[in-house]
Amino acid sequence: MRTLVFIPAWNEETSVAEVIADVRKYLPEADILVVDDGSADATAERAREAGALVASLPFNQGLGAALQTGYLYALRNGYDFCAHLDSDGQHPAEEVARLLEVVTSGRADLVIGSRYHAGAVAATGDYKPTFSRRIGTSVFRFFLTLATRQRFTDTTSGMRAANRRVMTLFSQRYSPDFAEIESLQLAVRQGLRVEEVPVRMLERAGGSSFLTPVKSAFFIFKGLVVLLVGQFRPRRVEAER
Amino acid sequence: MRFLVLAAESEPQVQLTSQTRILAAVIAIFFMLLILDLIRRDRLQERYSVIWFVAGLGMLAGAAFPGLLELVADAMGVRNTNVALFSIVLLLLLGLALNFSVIMSKQAAQITRLAQERALEKVDQQTDRQQNGGAPSGEQGLQAEEQRLEG
Repeated sequence: MRTLVFIPAWNEETSVAEVIADVRKYLPEADILVVDDGSADATAERAREAGALVASLPFNQGLGAALQTGYLYALRNGYDFCAHLDSDGQHPAEEVARLLEVVTSGRADLVIGSRYHAGAVAATGDYKPTFSRRIGTSVFRFFLTLATRQRFTDTTSGMRAANRRVMTLFSQRYSPDFAEIESLQLAVRQGLRVEEVPVRMLERAGGSSFLTPVKSAFFIFKGLVVLLVGQFRPRRVEAER
Repeated sequence: MRFLVLAAESEPQVQLTSQTRILAAVIAIFFMLLILDLIRRDRLQERYSVIWFVAGLGMLAGAAFPGLLELVADAMGVRNTNVALFSIVLLLLLGLALNFSVIMSKQAAQITRLAQERALEKVDQQTDRQQNGGAPSGEQGLQAEEQRLEG
């Protein structure tokens, strides 16, 4: 059984080595691939020094394209399972190992680490989202649940584990703009078993992902359009060429 | 108010004067020559030029046979030929802009895939070096395929 853990990274030279070390500690058997999404800093060098494989995209393409690169690599190189986590140190590798256990047991095809799941909230109070993020989260949660008829609590989580069925699907189709949300909708519509597992996440070290209310409103609107269009996509796509 | 309405009704349809017709014809011919020149200098691909030629020919036809425009205006139920002309041009431009968005989306997807393939090739080089020149197991099929294509 071969496992790949991939880490999309964009200008994360300060944290990427630590994340790699963390993954190696809790998942010593797994191969580690850092997908460097056109970083301008020394992210790729730091990752290579830390002993990870590095796939450097020639220019910044966005999270969706970076994640798809990881799924493509896992699929082509015959990995049985893969997982990914953020490179900024928000995601403890210990939790990723728990997600992988669920897919290796065969209980689900795709497992999402949720920081809002009842179990996670009860376990620790580490993660405190900002106000606009809370609104966005609840809007997406509502509409994704409506679209998929499956309950999701953390739609934008970037901590996931998957098997080969998911690799095949995501290496063909992965939205570059709304990677996290649309991929969940896509997976459910393709008849894959998607499961959420409560995880502990840490506060962002620096910066915030949402800037102004206008921007978050636009983000939410765009997301809703993407979800609506997704409902009209064909239910099944052909197997990999 | 009544005489205004009457005046509007009695006004004849807007006719193209011979001056505007000659101007339109000259512009249309100049436009098509420009397209030809762009193709000749490899600045425009043939497949994207067809639509522009059609536009140029349409302009030329409109200048040569102004009756055509009135026919179209009548068919649209528009009393003023100018309004018909503007709405047709507007619709054509809208369609063209949409066409470009579709082409752009396709090319964006192609560029993304190209970048991913290149990034993955670099990883393979890295793993090859780590394994002293031995190809990783999953890549053997791909390499065989490449050799088959080259041979």
